[in-house]
Amino acid sequence: MDVTIEQQGDVSVVSVAGSIDALTSGQLTQAFEEQIEAGQVSLVADFSGVDYTSSAGLRALLGAMKSSRTRGGDLRLAGIRSDVFRVLEMSGFTSILKVFDSVDEAIASFNS
Amino acid sequence: MLDHDRLELDATLENIPRFRAFVEDACACGGASTDDCFAIKLAVDEVCTNIIEHGYGPDHHGAISLTVEISDGEIRVAVVDNGRPFAPEEAPVPDVEAPWQDRPIGGLGWHLIRKMVDDIRYQTDGAENRLTLVKKFAETSGPGNEQERKNGCDD
Repeated sequence: MDVTIEQQGDVSVVSVAGSIDALTSGQLTQAFEEQIEAGQVSLVADFSGVDYTSSAGLRALLGAMKSSRTRGGDLRLAGIRSDVFRVLEMSGFTSILKVFDSVDEAIASFNS
Repeated sequence: MLDHDRLELDATLENIPRFRAFVEDACACGGASTDDCFAIKLAVDEVCTNIIEHGYGPDHHGAISLTVEISDGEIRVAVVDNGRPFAPEEAPVPDVEAPWQDRPIGGLGWHLIRKMVDDIRYQTDGAENRLTLVKKFAETSGPGNEQERKNGCDD
């Protein structure tokens, strides 16, 4: 799994590629935490490169979402593939996380 | 058609991708859809992760063996380990409709397993635990087609 971070104005875009499982999720959690601790609480996770997630990925997402919201920000998702979307939906995450088709739409949502 | 196959590896998180790949390949060779193969792959990942993190835990080493059988429109994956026994019915049921503030971080592994497969069977004698996941599927392609040959299904 690869994680890259890019600043787009006030929004940190965390792009993830590969599979998220119990082996790799710590890397994602750490990337989110580093952004939040640095005061970057408006986060977009670009999941267009994620082909798989287990519940370990859900832990990372929920932790970052709670942490950013309690600091006045949010974690929003973009570009989720259908298999991964199914995992999020079955776990009730699509009702608590804001999901967008593209990164641009997710970034724009912070400014609207 | 693939009827039977087995993989045994050390119970480590580093081996989780190999457990997944083994099940996914066997499932695809059996003619199941990519959706069904994703489902059984995810369920096996969650079971193996639980065994590694809780069954053996950080202080014990052991192995996990997977045995895959495909027949009569269903795939059965038996997961065998020698860690601490854990009955699936003991896993708490999460509230997946709760507001975000009330959601605990974690505890969704068994929820996903239950959602992804049609039947879960568990046996233990206290030393060896055998959990069998059953996923029914509609065959979408016959065995031995071009894609399956590319994947090495004839081996």
